[in-house]
Amino acid sequence: MKGLVSLFIGVFGTFAFSWVGLTVIPNLQIGALNPQMDEEGTDIYPAPKSGMADRGRRIYAANGCIYCHSQQIRPDYAAADIDRVRDAGPSPRPKWAERRSAPRDYIFERPVVLGQERMGPDLANVGKAGPTEEEKPAVAPAANAPAGSPANVALPKPASGNAPPAPVQPAAANPSPAASASPNPNGLPPAYSAAWHHRHLYSPRSMSPDNRDSTMPAYKFLYEKQPISGERSADALQLTGPEAPPPGWEVVPTYDAKCLVAYLMSLDQSHPLKEVKTAAGAAPPAASPPAASAASPPAAPPKK
Amino acid sequence: MDYGETSDVHEVHAAIQREKREPRVGLEPLSIWLIALYGLALFTGGAYLGRFSGNFSGDGLDPMGGPPPAKKGGGAQSQQQQAELSPRDRGKKIFAANCQTCHQANGLGVPSQYPPLAGSEFTTGGSKRPAMIVLKGLQGPVTVKGQKFGSAVMQPWDKTLTDQKIADVLTYERSEWGNNASPVTAEQIAALRKELANHPDSYTEPDVLAVPAEAELPGGAPAGAAPPKPGEAAKPAPSPKPQG
Amino acid sequence: MTPTADIPLKEPVISAAAGDAEQLERARIDASTRVPVLMFYASAMVWLLIGTLLAGFVSFKLHSPDWLSDVSFLTWGRLRPVHMNVMIYGWASMAAMGTAIWLMARLCRTTLRHPLLIVAGIWFWNIGVLAGVTGILMGYSTGYDWLEFPPYAAVILFVAYALIISWAVLMFRFRRGDQIYITQWYLLAAFLWFPWLYAAAQAMLFVVPVQGVMQAAVGWWYANNLLFLWLGAIALGTAYYMIPKVIGRPVYSYHLATIGFWTYALFSSWTGMQRLVDGPFPAWMITASIAATILTIIPVATVGLNHHMTMQGYFPVMRYSPTLRFTVFGAMSYTVFSIVGILISLRSTARYLHFTEASTAYTHLGLYAFFTMIMFGSMYYIVPRLVGREWRYATLIKLHFWASAYGIGLMTLMLLVGGFVQGASQNDPSLPFIESAGSVLPYLRGRTLAALLLTASHFIFAFHFGLMLFGLGRTSTVPTFLNPIEAEGSEAHL
Repeated sequence: MKGLVSLFIGVFGTFAFSWVGLTVIPNLQIGALNPQMDEEGTDIYPAPKSGMADRGRRIYAANGCIYCHSQQIRPDYAAADIDRVRDAGPSPRPKWAERRSAPRDYIFERPVVLGQERMGPDLANVGKAGPTEEEKPAVAPAANAPAGSPANVALPKPASGNAPPAPVQPAAANPSPAASASPNPNGLPPAYSAAWHHRHLYSPRSMSPDNRDSTMPAYKFLYEKQPISGERSADALQLTGPEAPPPGWEVVPTYDAKCLVAYLMSLDQSHPLKEVKTAAGAAPPAASPPAASAASPPAAPPKK
Repeated sequence: MDYGETSDVHEVHAAIQREKREPRVGLEPLSIWLIALYGLALFTGGAYLGRFSGNFSGDGLDPMGGPPPAKKGGGAQSQQQQAELSPRDRGKKIFAANCQTCHQANGLGVPSQYPPLAGSEFTTGGSKRPAMIVLKGLQGPVTVKGQKFGSAVMQPWDKTLTDQKIADVLTYERSEWGNNASPVTAEQIAALRKELANHPDSYTEPDVLAVPAEAELPGGAPAGAAPPKPGEAAKPAPSPKPQG
Repeated sequence: MTPTADIPLKEPVISAAAGDAEQLERARIDASTRVPVLMFYASAMVWLLIGTLLAGFVSFKLHSPDWLSDVSFLTWGRLRPVHMNVMIYGWASMAAMGTAIWLMARLCRTTLRHPLLIVAGIWFWNIGVLAGVTGILMGYSTGYDWLEFPPYAAVILFVAYALIISWAVLMFRFRRGDQIYITQWYLLAAFLWFPWLYAAAQAMLFVVPVQGVMQAAVGWWYANNLLFLWLGAIALGTAYYMIPKVIGRPVYSYHLATIGFWTYALFSSWTGMQRLVDGPFPAWMITASIAATILTIIPVATVGLNHHMTMQGYFPVMRYSPTLRFTVFGAMSYTVFSIVGILISLRSTARYLHFTEASTAYTHLGLYAFFTMIMFGSMYYIVPRLVGREWRYATLIKLHFWASAYGIGLMTLMLLVGGFVQGASQNDPSLPFIESAGSVLPYLRGRTLAALLLTASHFIFAFHFGLMLFGLGRTSTVPTFLNPIEAEGSEAHL
């Protein structure tokens, strides 16, 4: 029996060693973090997500979004995550992040959806990339129109005809604010707005000519086709082309879809954290409207 | 086992019969080269662990990080440290964290997007105008030093920065980059905040220009670096100061 | 020759010489393990087929997403975790347990008592996997990699495991003979490690949940440890039995085996965090895992050398023995898998390969090229002894081997190269992100081709196994060789 005892001790010991070292000790270090509060106690980050967004996170996890999308920004010395710009949106395109992710960003997430692979872009700040309250319709088109959009130099493909600021979609249909704030040449909703997310989930490859290579599944089962009764519903999807429903029908999101989009719109890790160096300053301007010039994003390149 | 098919025990158990004996172990000694490999692996692994572990602390997110950073935030000690810095130095930190993105570290802004602060008539004139702008934000087209800026929106800082912080950052801006204007105190900002409490966010240029250029915040106590000037004496027309 | 009527069904009484006592003992042991092990294998085969079909779907839908996309339980995001979990808990764990029970019985030289309890355990395990799969398809996946089964499935699996393993451990308790052979160390350790791992992970994620990013840390600690300490340990133990057994030579060195076992346990258990490199974690835990991965070169070199020296001069036997061919392929793949693991986890390469298909390649190298091929080898050895027949068609075995070998080889190549292309594109911030997705598409199509090969391979094997199960194998005293024996009295007489 002697051999058995030492075998058991060794087997248990190696297991305990790795368990303690990789889970217990890190848990002691980063497993009981509190949100960061400033001196006045008014600015608390992060905050737990509200009901719809929280349910949205569970839907996100349950439908396997984590297998293609990550939600962690790597530091600038490790990879080019921070400076990457999103593929959609008015120029200058929003950057992926202001800073790398830190453990404190995730303390209220359950399940935590860091993600393992990037067939699709990182989503840690996709909520921030959406149009904000301050983007009043008056400002942006005025800035855009006279420029004749040489600004679209940054776009990989020329915007088709520099579409007029007025959106093509029916007025009542877009739930997101300032539908005309960031006119998208293809008649799509403003980039990364709720309507945009709905359309992207329903039909990923119809987003723009750029998106045909996207292999994201179409989450049509999160939406319902229903006949239009009276007026179009406020949250009916704006679909064009082959994806559009037949006349007299509309596509509306189910509650699950709305929760999922609420979750996506809530994803924002740009709030500065004391323990993490911010690439471009603590509180970047709330609304960087489309620049009339082809200038690169405003931040001076951060000194490492 | 289909015993019915054959009663020849050798056929039935042929697989077992032809088996070799159960495995056993030999006792060849270890090769010296293998031990050398072990040593090399242990050295490499250990060196990697030592080099890239940040500082083994929970805050050490950077694998090449140095010694643990001094604890910041909260704590009387750090506030004391903060207080030992001059208002200008504190203001410089606040500027770097909040304003530098747009107005740039050299205070020159970005043409047609973000106005400069260096030599700007708004920054260096009376203290009321810049304080209003910082507290409540500014949007819409504005002309600074003869150049037009129009596309950006400056957010209000009244909710994000304390009076002391706003005072410090204004003090910094008004004495940096060749600017030479009076410092601002927290009490002045507090008073202005109360005055503007009911004002909705965001001024536009006409609002700001409506305030006299030389209007100083009441209660100003000039200190140190700025040239002494009478409290509310009218200054000459706001001419751009020579910038450095 | 005794008359037919006198041969009892359970314990054949044969007048034989004393030297045959060992053989009688083996026959008795095999008879006792017959039902549970065959049931394990049959269940594992069914899950393998289901998992392989799912693999085909998953691979295809990744580059051609519009096929069958409207149905909620066929969406890619749910099929992928179902594929992984079916393969890990359905195929891999059941094949592992089946082989391990047979090996334990043989090595402990004791019959398996109360096999019906194990049969009950098998049923529970199947129900547990089915419940978990259904849960994921209905939209209740937990969202944790390798732990997507909803908690109720985990409970069922625990109950099943308790039923199964208690008897295996009891066999060890009542073993005969003094020496504890290498395989028994690995198997016993694996039997203990799995429930501890699973319990720790379930506890830290669901019962007393850890906060924030620690959930991911616990998840990947569990996943890598499951791969190495449960599946990998059983595979290595099996290789340590099959290779010396088939060629009839002792394992080269006891010292190498000891060092290999303990360094394997020590270093492999510390890996896992490298999957979170540059993430929101303290750098030291990531680096500790990378350092541990570097240090796994020690057990890899040791075990590899041990097997190689054992096989020295006997490599030609691989031409004839299916068991040896599969097992040696698997053992060599262990080396390749480990080296790939070291290379992709260093921070300098992780910069390009993190978040790409390269990690899928690594996982499949471990789960398929290493683990599954060794399991196939063990099934080719064990099944004839349980059904009293030999494998019917050598051609099918050869097809199985080559289709599997080429399949996993092609898949690994496609995903590693594709991963590198994807990573290089991802790291260039001047390119729009969609470019990286586009750049990997041709490699994903190549991977689907590999999936087709593997599907063919598994269906061939399943068919062949089915023949054996239904008593349609070859009756013969000579095993099924992959090629005809050339010389008289050669080493290939197995």
